[in-house]
Amino acid sequence: MSPEAAGLAHGTIRADHIWKRFRSDDRRWSVSTQFNYWKARRRSGDEDFWRWALRDIGVHIEPGEAVGLVGPNGSGKSTLLKILTRVMHPYAGRLAVSGRVGALIEVKAGIHNELSGRENIYLYGSLLGLNRREVASRFDQIIAFSELDDAIDRQVKFYSSGMQMRLGFSVAAHLDPDILLVDEVLAVGDASFQQRCHDRMREVLNQGTTLVLVSHDLAAVEATCNRCMLLVDGVLRGDGQIRDVLGEYREWIEEVAAGRQTIEAIVPLLKAVADDGERGSPRSDGPLEVRLVLDSAEAQKAMLFIGVSEGPATPIFVIRRNMTLAAGELELVCRVRHLPLPRGRFHVWVGIYDSSWRELLPWHPATFFDVIGNRLMKAPRGIVRLSPVQVTADWDESRR
Amino acid sequence: MTDILDHKTSPPPELLYRHRLNVRRDLLDLWRNRRLVRTLAERDIRASYKQSFFGFGWAIVTPLLTVLVFTVFFKRIGRIDTGSIPYPLFAYVGLLPWSFFTSSVSSGAGSLIYNSTILNKVYCPREVFPVASILVQAVDTVLASAVLGLLFIYYGTAPKLTTLWVPVLVVVQLALTVGLTLAFSTAVVYVRDLRQVLGGILQMGLFLTPVAWGIRSVPEKWRVAYCAIDPLAAVIDGYRRTVLQGKPPSWGLLVPAAMTSTIVLIAGYYIFRRLEGGIADVA
Repeated sequence: MSPEAAGLAHGTIRADHIWKRFRSDDRRWSVSTQFNYWKARRRSGDEDFWRWALRDIGVHIEPGEAVGLVGPNGSGKSTLLKILTRVMHPYAGRLAVSGRVGALIEVKAGIHNELSGRENIYLYGSLLGLNRREVASRFDQIIAFSELDDAIDRQVKFYSSGMQMRLGFSVAAHLDPDILLVDEVLAVGDASFQQRCHDRMREVLNQGTTLVLVSHDLAAVEATCNRCMLLVDGVLRGDGQIRDVLGEYREWIEEVAAGRQTIEAIVPLLKAVADDGERGSPRSDGPLEVRLVLDSAEAQKAMLFIGVSEGPATPIFVIRRNMTLAAGELELVCRVRHLPLPRGRFHVWVGIYDSSWRELLPWHPATFFDVIGNRLMKAPRGIVRLSPVQVTADWDESRR
Repeated sequence: MTDILDHKTSPPPELLYRHRLNVRRDLLDLWRNRRLVRTLAERDIRASYKQSFFGFGWAIVTPLLTVLVFTVFFKRIGRIDTGSIPYPLFAYVGLLPWSFFTSSVSSGAGSLIYNSTILNKVYCPREVFPVASILVQAVDTVLASAVLGLLFIYYGTAPKLTTLWVPVLVVVQLALTVGLTLAFSTAVVYVRDLRQVLGGILQMGLFLTPVAWGIRSVPEKWRVAYCAIDPLAAVIDGYRRTVLQGKPPSWGLLVPAAMTSTIVLIAGYYIFRRLEGGIADVA
């Protein structure tokens, strides 16, 4: 426990104005670089020598909260987590973390290769401040959860990465931490273990443990957390209700993808509109109409795909149309009678392929629409929703 | 996006995170983590002996061989004044504290790098790593002192009553050892070359310190200065006087040595605290 945390309930995190910087040169620390550094500092200040990893981050987390931390690679998520575990010191800011912190940062958290799985459990226990007896009383639970019965007396260096992760997660999640920090590691486990990890996280949440979960698997974050923080470029861009912040993040991913993509199409898409058919916003369970205008240089057989996503390229559903493109412009209307989507912003992706799957129009986001309606019904906590949706549609084609 | 970044380019100076030096708090923190120190030491002892065929025997064989080499070379070639004490006994009483010192400093210097996987992921006061590695060497030294018992039996002598002074000497030696270990353990993380430099210095130290020879080989007028620069010279001489010769330590040499050790300890602690904050950034 940090000395500043006196008086706070166990499981509380109070971080204000956290700043962190790293050296911007990736060279090794040597006497000559240090000499140059002092010289430059005397002349013009030392700004060029540093790059900011975190700027002015404020995080207040109450006991028992489940907070997701999302953001693109290199946005500072792991750095923030390391600062919260007090492994890393911030450059500036005030930090108070109350209670025992169990952290699973990277796969081999606190794991020593030369020792057996059993010895590692005890070592990690004493790192968390537990004595042998306290660890021993949870030992069977840890073994049962990690399913490492046969391997527990084997040296950890002979473990597969999945086994190491299982050991790491089981230990961190079973030694009664007040705060559990989990950093993008669950992906190593197989599907059944991932589900059990989510179950376990739900259990510790019910016991009043604070959870901070870093993951790129937004569906998993949404399943476990009720609050979310979005970190981009070391700046906190969002903090609030999970669906709102994830929506914001998906929006951001969309913007970046659109900015990056230069579409070289054999059959260009001239126009794409998505609405309820009467220039209004579609409603949940109401009609959706997507109107596309294509321009083909020659007549050919083609497959057209329309996908609807929440932002990233993984669609919620995809509709396919086998068609014959005529030379010239072609307007295409796709009508979905009952749109199975909740309130929010969704993107329409379009791609066209010929019969040998050559790209005539690469898969890309063409337009978006906002659905009016109810919020998404909550799934039970810990249930990861992949949203498989069956959608039927009517089609219209007309020459222009 | 850019507007967020533009108007805040650095934190206000009053928010800078400072590391306050607080000896009391640090010692308390270390005491609270004594179990961890023990676990780490146990781990290292186990890890180092588990895979070797000879096990704990190495703790005894290595110093025994060194004394054998010393006896063959120094006794035959150089003329070393040991008084009435058999040379192997004389040399071993010097070698034991010396090997404790040098192995503590060299393994302690690497302790933070060696444990970087842990200290990058779980918080604990970083002192536990160098302290645990000193503890490991202490255990080795206790094991190796079994040889001393054998030598006493072989030569038909026994430790003198003045051996009771030994704890005082141990304190002086520990202060020096802990100070150097703390300083090097952090400095090495930033400048890896230091480890090689340190190895060289310790190697030379074996011959510059009266381990294989006695302090009497140093001219009388230089002795005080010598012990102030190399406190171990006074400490080793002290062990020989108290354990073998039945005399109290020579205070004229031990007091300057103790002063140097204290300065090294304070400086080591200060360096450790200053450098420790950035370890997770570079390790």
